[in-house]
Amino acid sequence: MSTLTRDPRRNTQRPSAAPDRRADYRRRMRRSDVMVATLWASAAAAVALFLVYGGAGKFGTIGDAITSLGIVAGLIGTDFILVMIVLAARIPLIDRTVGHDRAIAVHRSLGKPALYLLLAHGVLLLIGYGIASGINPIAEVGQMLAIPDMPLAFVGLGLLIAVVITSLVAVRKKFSYEGWHLVHLLTYVAVLVAVPHQLSVGGIFAAGSFERAYWIALYILAFGSIATFRFAEPFVSSIRHHLRVKSVTQIAPGVVSIELSGRRLRSLRSAGGQFFIWRFWTGRTWWHSHPISLSSVPSDRAARITVRNLGTGSNAISRVPVGTRVWFEGPYGVFTDAGRTAPKLAVVVAGIGITPVRAFLEDSNLRPGETTILLRASTNEETYLWDEVVQLARDKGAHVYTMVGRRSSGRRAWMPADDDRRGVTLRSVFPDLKNSDLYICGPTPWLDLVEAEARANGIPEHQLHMERFDW
Amino acid sequence: MRIRAALGGIFASAAILGIGWQFGSAAAATFTKQDTAPSTNTTSTGTSTATASPSPSASVSASASVSASASPSASPSASSTGSVSGTFTGATESTQFGNVQVEIVVTAGKITDVKALRLTDQGGRSVQISNYAAPILRSEVLKSQSAKVASVSGATYTTDGYLSSVQSALDKAGL
Repeated sequence: MSTLTRDPRRNTQRPSAAPDRRADYRRRMRRSDVMVATLWASAAAAVALFLVYGGAGKFGTIGDAITSLGIVAGLIGTDFILVMIVLAARIPLIDRTVGHDRAIAVHRSLGKPALYLLLAHGVLLLIGYGIASGINPIAEVGQMLAIPDMPLAFVGLGLLIAVVITSLVAVRKKFSYEGWHLVHLLTYVAVLVAVPHQLSVGGIFAAGSFERAYWIALYILAFGSIATFRFAEPFVSSIRHHLRVKSVTQIAPGVVSIELSGRRLRSLRSAGGQFFIWRFWTGRTWWHSHPISLSSVPSDRAARITVRNLGTGSNAISRVPVGTRVWFEGPYGVFTDAGRTAPKLAVVVAGIGITPVRAFLEDSNLRPGETTILLRASTNEETYLWDEVVQLARDKGAHVYTMVGRRSSGRRAWMPADDDRRGVTLRSVFPDLKNSDLYICGPTPWLDLVEAEARANGIPEHQLHMERFDW
Repeated sequence: MRIRAALGGIFASAAILGIGWQFGSAAAATFTKQDTAPSTNTTSTGTSTATASPSPSASVSASASVSASASPSASPSASSTGSVSGTFTGATESTQFGNVQVEIVVTAGKITDVKALRLTDQGGRSVQISNYAAPILRSEVLKSQSAKVASVSGATYTTDGYLSSVQSALDKAGL
């Protein structure tokens, strides 16, 4: 009897794995809201440290007021920097909640405010202290340099300015990714050399105080996250899973599928659509790491990535010899089934953007008729993995549309000119867009256009899922 | 959802700021209390006192040239109590940047030297300020033969603590 009652229950739950999506989404949003609130609260806590120190009473004279503002700017700016480090640490909880790209977007948005606050910190304190001792701010620089730990703090600020300038998009394009990344690593140096002056020059973080303990704890949290999730965990994981290149197959001009063999790959629990950051240990490629999605769901002993020659780096990895040792960080990203919130599924994909979509579809539990897929390529040669996606769609009862041809112009440039003339729209391909999760993957300029049209059709924010090809 | 995040952030921040402000004003209140009621743990001694200087970096005494130029200016008020001599230790004054304590050397009713036993020393900036302010305050006190001298700009806390301690030492000396 018991087996009889158990079996039907299992059977009724099986086909409707979807209904929990709402609850999952709410849970993720709750976590996300707590994270946002924590971000705000940490800035408030930085100001509160100054208030505990009696800061509210230090605005009596102009000099004092400027000095106090300078101190507050330094506290908030440093707090922002530490938050940025936490956001860049690829902490699994943050990645699962909002996704790595969202976390990096917040990271970037804090960069300039943090720099301005820390610049203000330096300038305001030079003015404030200058007024207090009756000398001009430039002469005050000499005074400050005489204080122990201050020369290091000046070095730190200089480094930070260099880092932020090289990170601004306009300048970044002139650097290679590695050059930029190397400069970016200087942030750690900049942040660390600023620590001594925080603890020794002012009185806020007096030895043995709670404030000092809190501040040091923030640093440990930030740098501990980096050390754990950017270095230790990927290293251990790479050693344990022992990935090597098994075969490299050209599937189209300039596009290769790389089969990797390894151990216990299922224990990585990567969901279809997630990406890893790969490092191929050959003489030419070891210094370069690549974010690439798996192009199919891995078995316990094998995984596959599909790569197009986008830059010099990915050109080199398309020629790695069989047997090359491969290290990785990941899996990352919420371009997966776990991100679903709506009853229907719409997928738009262009070019090599097919790879995460291919794995995502394979990993998704889809009802017949639930899914509509739109495949986009400029030429027939760029229809990578289309055969596999079409096969998957057939198995899972999904509709597939294709668009091949030179692009149209203006806001409609995401589709071929022919389709544009025929009056095709995103809405005509996906009539039920408002009740659909829209997954978009492809080159950034193309993706931006699709996203704009989706938004113009009133799709809710949480139903948009995007994977852009930039770093 | 975003509204909830914003409200959560605002309320959490306000609460944290409120707590910080409360702690801050409580701390400020204790400092003012200590300022008005000088601590009684210091005892006056007729002869020189051996007091350890707790913070070597802060207890920089002024150059000798200042005391030489200051000694000739004897105030007439000192003559009435001209018999007093000795070293008198002032009260320890708490400031936000650390404790301040001085001792004065009195010879025949005149202040001949002021030694800083402790100066504001919480943080490198504070040490710099006290090292700069102490010699000025010393020469001013020797010049005016009283604790009623102008504040050193940029060193308000050090000045207040220093002069209060000088005053309490003067009280002990009966000057």
